[in-house]
Amino acid sequence: MSLSAIVVGLYWGLVIAPPDAYQGEVQRIMYLHLPSILTAYLSYFLVFIGSCMYLWKREKRDDILAHSAAEIGVLFTALTIIEGSIWGRPTWGVWWTWDARLTLTAILLLIYTGYLMLRSLIEDENRAASAAAVLGIIGFLDIPLIHMSVYWWRTLHQPPSILQPNKAPWENIAWPLLIPLLINIVAFLLLLFYLLSLRYRLGEIRDEIRMRRLEQSA
Amino acid sequence: MNLLKQTSLVFWKDLLLELRRRDSLLTMFFFGTLLLFVFHFSFDLPPDKVAEMAPALLWLAFLFTGTLGLTQLFQVERENHCLEALLLSPLDRGALFLAKSCFNLFLMLLVELVVMPLFWILFNLHGWNLLPQLFLVTLLGTVGFCVLGTIMSAVTLRARARELLLPLVLFPLMIPVILATIRCMENIMSAGDLGAAESWLRLLLGFDVIFVTVGILIFDRVIEG
Amino acid sequence: MEHWSFVALAYGIVWSVIVVYFFFLKRRYRKAQMELSALTSAQTLEEHEQT
Repeated sequence: MSLSAIVVGLYWGLVIAPPDAYQGEVQRIMYLHLPSILTAYLSYFLVFIGSCMYLWKREKRDDILAHSAAEIGVLFTALTIIEGSIWGRPTWGVWWTWDARLTLTAILLLIYTGYLMLRSLIEDENRAASAAAVLGIIGFLDIPLIHMSVYWWRTLHQPPSILQPNKAPWENIAWPLLIPLLINIVAFLLLLFYLLSLRYRLGEIRDEIRMRRLEQSA
Repeated sequence: MNLLKQTSLVFWKDLLLELRRRDSLLTMFFFGTLLLFVFHFSFDLPPDKVAEMAPALLWLAFLFTGTLGLTQLFQVERENHCLEALLLSPLDRGALFLAKSCFNLFLMLLVELVVMPLFWILFNLHGWNLLPQLFLVTLLGTVGFCVLGTIMSAVTLRARARELLLPLVLFPLMIPVILATIRCMENIMSAGDLGAAESWLRLLLGFDVIFVTVGILIFDRVIEG
Repeated sequence: MEHWSFVALAYGIVWSVIVVYFFFLKRRYRKAQMELSALTSAQTLEEHEQT
C-alpha cells in the first residue's frame, strides 16, 4: 500500500516539471499525448503476454492480468484520442482528422473495446477468458499490419517503409523539451502499474467470489 | 491421418450438407445482390465516379455478405450438438480450422463470381478484361477475411448478441485487408496492376500467411473454450 | 501563450478521468470485498451448522 502512495506522490510531484518548458502553449499537450499512447501500447502488450500465458498454462492470474491491462489500455487510448483531438483543434482547426496517428488510435480503441465487450457477453467465465485471450493475441499481432496499412494509405506518394516514418518525433525535439517528456513518460508508466495493480486485485477478489459461489452450489 | 486429409474430410462434409440445403449459399447470393441494388439507390453516382468507387462498394458488399456466412459457419454443429462430437474425435483442430475457412471461402468465392460481373453490368462499367486480375486480388482478400473470420466466429460462438458482436470484433482487425485489397483493385482499374500497388499485395499475402499459421496453431484453444 | 484554454482542457480532462477511474476502481473493490466477506461468513456459518 505504501509503495502505491509513493507512486502517486511521484506522479503528482512531476506535474510541476512540465509547465517549466514550453514552446507555444499547445505543444504542452504532447507531454500528455505521447506518454498516454505509450502507456496504452504497453498495456496492450501486457494483454498479449497475459493472453499467451493463459492459453498456455491456463492459470487464472494471467487472465486477470490480461483483462485488467485491457481495461486500463482502453482508458489510456480513449485519453489519447481526446488529447489528440484537443491538440488538433488549435493546430489544424478541426476537432478530428483522419491522419495516420489518430486513425490508428481509434482503431486500437475499437479492437480492445471489442475485447471488453466480448468478455462481458460470454456467460461462462472460463470460455470468456479463452475467447478473450485469443482476441488479445490476434489483435496484438494484427497491430503492426494495421500500422503499416494505415501509414501507407495516409502517405500515398512516399515509398512505403517498414517502420512508421512519422513516429519518432522525439528525435526532432529540442533537448529542453525532452526532459519533461521523459519525466512524464515515466510518471505515466508508474501510474499504469499502480492502476494495474489495483485493477488486478479487484480481479483476484472477483475470481475468489466466483470460486466460492461455485463451491456453494456444488 | 494427416492434416490435409482431415481438412478435406470436414470440408466435404460441410459442402455436401450445404449442397443439400443451400441455406447459406442462397442467402449470401441474395444478400450480395440486394446490397448492389441498395448501393445503386444510395449513391447516385455519375458514370466516371462509379469506376472510382467500384472496388470499395464491391468490397463492402462482400464484407457484409461474408459476415452472414460466418455467423452460419458453426450453426450446423451447434444445432445438433455435433461440435462436442467433433471435439471428442481425434480430429486435428487445425484441420477443423482450415476446413471451416475453406468452406466459407468457397461460399464467398461463388458469390463473388456472380456478384462481380453483376456489378459490372448493373453499373455499366467497362474494362471487362480486368476482371480476372481483380478477382485474383479479391481472392486473396477473401482468404484473409475467411481465415480471421473463422477464428472470430469460433471465438464468439457462445456469446450473447453474437450476430452483432462478430462484426464488431472482426472488422477493425480486417482493416489491413480492406485497405490492401481496395488499393490493389483501384490500381488495376486505373491501369494494369502497377508496381505502386505491389507492396499492398505483399501486405495482403503476408496477412494471409500470418493468420493461416496463427489459426492452425491456436484453433484448439479457441474451440475448446 | 496562445491557446492556453486548450491546454487546460486537455490536462483537466486527463486528470479528472484518471481520478474518476481511480475512485471507480476503489468503489468496485470495496463492494467486492464486502461481497466476499459476506460469502465467507455465510460459508463458515454453514460449515458450523453442519458439524
